[in-house]
Amino acid sequence: MKTKFIILCFLSVLFWAIPSHSFNFGNILKEVEKSTRPPEKTQPSKEKTKPTQSPAQSSEQNSGQDGGLISLGDSLGLFDKKTSKFLKQSVNTLKSLQPIAYEEEKAIGGRLAVEVFNRYGGAYNDPELLNYINLVGQSVADVSSRSDINYHFAILNTEFPNAFATPGGYVFVSIGLIRMIENEAELAGVLAHEVAHIARKHALQTLQRSRSLQGVSSLTLTVMDKDPGLFDKLIDEVSNVLFTKGLDKNLEFEADKYGREFAYRTGYYPGALKRFIQKLGASKKNQGSIFSSTHPTSRERYNLLQKSSSRYKKASLYPTLGKRFKVAIKR
Amino acid sequence: MRLLIYSFIFLFFGFSFTSQVTAETWYVKKSATKLQAEAKARSKVLGKLNKGTPVDVLGKSGKFYKVSAAGETGWIFRFRLTKVAPSGSGGDGDVLGALGGQQQIAARESAYGSSIRGLSPVSEEHAIKKGASPASIESVKEMERYKVDDEALDKFLEEGRLGAYAD
Repeated sequence: MKTKFIILCFLSVLFWAIPSHSFNFGNILKEVEKSTRPPEKTQPSKEKTKPTQSPAQSSEQNSGQDGGLISLGDSLGLFDKKTSKFLKQSVNTLKSLQPIAYEEEKAIGGRLAVEVFNRYGGAYNDPELLNYINLVGQSVADVSSRSDINYHFAILNTEFPNAFATPGGYVFVSIGLIRMIENEAELAGVLAHEVAHIARKHALQTLQRSRSLQGVSSLTLTVMDKDPGLFDKLIDEVSNVLFTKGLDKNLEFEADKYGREFAYRTGYYPGALKRFIQKLGASKKNQGSIFSSTHPTSRERYNLLQKSSSRYKKASLYPTLGKRFKVAIKR
Repeated sequence: MRLLIYSFIFLFFGFSFTSQVTAETWYVKKSATKLQAEAKARSKVLGKLNKGTPVDVLGKSGKFYKVSAAGETGWIFRFRLTKVAPSGSGGDGDVLGALGGQQQIAARESAYGSSIRGLSPVSEEHAIKKGASPASIESVKEMERYKVDDEALDKFLEEGRLGAYAD
């Protein structure tokens, strides 16, 4: 009887404790590595004069350290070569999943924002219109799932229909795209789509999954500052995704879904983004543009939004604010 | 004896369960969040709460949550609240719950979220090194300096019947 009682008490405590304590696999890995890594030698004078390592070199070194426990298993003959290689790769992959902190995200996003202005016509100069874009953008950002960071909105001086988001809160919309829009709800849908990319950290997710970053355990500003090659690599990688290849299709669909939700939460007609996507697909202006080459087809996007539109039952009651939009863009 | 044991287990589980279910403390997402007398955007403003202020959620009416905060009871527009403590992780834990999934982000985010301003020196140096035009760099700085005034935003929402003012 006593034993049963003790077991029951133990189980009760166990059940209580599990939900209140979460595990961080990354930290566990770090601890395991710490315990198996040989102590570092302190050579301050040498360190100061040491030339900057290339990312490839540092990556190699890291991968050597990463497999501390695995290397130990190796030397004890516990793993064959294939298993050992697989385990080392797994450790690196898990480590690359460590989230990038906001400060670093903003450094990456800020640099990419410079690139956006550099590549796409620079800033469009109309303070009143800019103020209006900021008001609409801020309204949707405030009800987004990541409203605790600062968002910045800008208009690009290009007639090509374009919109971009770079990590850390930078949102761009081209004057060409604004001219295709018919009401405020459509504008809110477009801006909310970009806010959703930032809120869901789509570019960062892509970066963290990148093969070229395998073996890089932490991306801090100190690390980036010490290794300019690493920052170069990061920027090249994200630039290639944002400006050439485009994000994964599913991330674009997700941004559509979340963007519509954020616009709806703000109080706009939730069908506006879908309508605009349809219009964009039919536009000749969009054909061959960077926007069309970096996004899934308008038909796919429209169909997916259409499939999930039953969620918004009283959609038609929500405003599109066409008049206010036309006044704002002086049409 | 058996009865005593069962009672103990029941109480233990009961206590653990209720303590999790009744935990209704939420947090204010943005500074200058209005605590209002009624569940209406145009009702009397009882006070303004700072970002991170914990509030006890007591009920719901439309787009507003009835809360108790700093010794006062009032109503707050629901998207101004988050389930996640500011010192924890970012994102609002999806108030509507339909889109699912909380993101794990670094704890530093909440602390720095609104305080990191200006183009990072790392970014600026890199942009200069790569030959980006000074105008492009200045445009990003300009973009960051631009701040939407809280009152202007509130007026904009009211005029468009948006946000807390939506019908």
